[in-house]
Amino acid sequence: MSVAVERSDFEVAARASARGRLDVYGVSKSFAVNGTQIDALQDMSLHVAAGEFVALLGPSGCGKSTLLRLIAGLDSDYHGSIQQDGAVVTGTSLARGIVFQEPRLFPWATVRQNIALGLKNAPISEAAKRDSVAAHISLVGLDGFAEAYPHQLSGGMAQRAAIARGLVNRPRLLLLDEPFGALDALTRARLQTELQRIWAHEQITMMLVTHDVDEAVFLGDRVVVLAPRPGRISRIFDIAVDRPRERSNDQLIRIRNEVLRTLEHGGEGSAPAGTARSVR
Amino acid sequence: MSDAVLETGLGSRRLTSADGARRLFGARLGQRVARRAAAAGWLLIVPAVALPVWIVGSERGWLAQQILPRPADVLHTFGEMVASGELAQHAGISLLRVLFGFAVGSGAALVLGSAMGLSRRVDEYVRPLFTAIAQVPALAWIPLAMLLLGIGETLKIVVIAKAAFVPVVMNTSAGIANVPRSLVEVGESFRFTPLQMLRHVVLPGAVPPIFTGLRYGLTHAWIALVSVELLASSEGLGYLLVWGRQMFWLDTVLVAMIVIGVIGFVSDKILAVVETRLQRWRTDGV
Repeated sequence: MSVAVERSDFEVAARASARGRLDVYGVSKSFAVNGTQIDALQDMSLHVAAGEFVALLGPSGCGKSTLLRLIAGLDSDYHGSIQQDGAVVTGTSLARGIVFQEPRLFPWATVRQNIALGLKNAPISEAAKRDSVAAHISLVGLDGFAEAYPHQLSGGMAQRAAIARGLVNRPRLLLLDEPFGALDALTRARLQTELQRIWAHEQITMMLVTHDVDEAVFLGDRVVVLAPRPGRISRIFDIAVDRPRERSNDQLIRIRNEVLRTLEHGGEGSAPAGTARSVR
Repeated sequence: MSDAVLETGLGSRRLTSADGARRLFGARLGQRVARRAAAAGWLLIVPAVALPVWIVGSERGWLAQQILPRPADVLHTFGEMVASGELAQHAGISLLRVLFGFAVGSGAALVLGSAMGLSRRVDEYVRPLFTAIAQVPALAWIPLAMLLLGIGETLKIVVIAKAAFVPVVMNTSAGIANVPRSLVEVGESFRFTPLQMLRHVVLPGAVPPIFTGLRYGLTHAWIALVSVELLASSEGLGYLLVWGRQMFWLDTVLVAMIVIGVIGFVSDKILAVVETRLQRWRTDGV
């Protein structure tokens, strides 16, 4: 074994230790809607290993997007504790990137400027910022569109730009709030494959909120199924399928059907499958 | 829109440069020129009807010459007033007053409107008083203002500034307060400082309504100018109107009216051009 290899091994290890571990301890959150109290999340605990890809799956109203906003630090009005790499989350951080359902690009800025704004407060040189922006434009396949304005992009291209913007700070944790929900099926499938490639390449923790079972099972190391009113975890599925994955993989299809059954029965009553384990 | 939209297939069908995008955006230039020409055609319909009616009507004496002079007479008077420098002198004075009053009024309004849009507390304190002042038209302030300020330049500037002030405050505060929360959250996720938020999110997002306010403000300033010159002035285009009417020189009155209209129209267009420049992102990659 050469010295060079040893060093690169060391670097990989160093980087791995810097990746984002996430711990959610007993988080509850309620809203007042027209005078009535709605429990969006009830005593939710979840532990995500560094580098893991977790999909939060559930019907609308199960609090999955709410949980993501709490983790992002966009909302601090809740009970419980959320920690990233052992540090309590207080407010937003460049160590956590977020991609929303809508691209939310600034309409007055080009693709390049939009992504560069993500680096505004990054502690690196201007030259490094320029290089990083260019690299991330390439990463999401938007070469040639750096100077385009958002209204000149298709929905898929705009969402790619948003993903690049979420990644440009090299966050240890990337939060994705139904990022492909508004896209057509073909574009969605492409971007899912693309996201899987980026995840493997960047080796960061990803947490994806979705209501698409296929998407959750295809992308996740684990699929966390949530149940609504009050929002809580109903079951967690381990997806022990090697990557890169094929959508037609038998095992994936079996797990998908099991997840669907769980969703239909509201998480109760169905017999646990071999790959799944019940929680609570 | 759809022709500019192009999905790159996962990098496999990547465009080699921005050329592709640029070609698509340029393709509609011809269409746009045609649309402009059509719009200009519609604009000319009313003058094209009104002018012959005026010519025929004045030739046949539908109205007395003293009330409706012939277009040729008006043109002649216009020529004389231009040649003598009289028109330029009055127009220059009016323009200076408007520019100064508008600058003062809209400048103050941008500051107050921004503060109201950014801070709920400032808005709550200031808005009732502001609304009360705004409800009284600039014209109605003139009698009181005359007693307080006399009939000198200060009176004119104050009245014009007040007229510009109101719409600019309303549109600026609304524009800033209505910047989408979703975009502010993006700024938060990047840990923008308040100043960065203002520079990169709030102000760009508020440019369209602010400019709408500025254009209204300029129009109102121009109207207020004529009003205040009608009532208390010995020079300027408004004064020209009063003086012409008293002398029964309706040709002078018409010249003044046309010049007022043209200056108002041109100044609004200038602001419109600045607005388009500031919002290039709304039009196609020009």
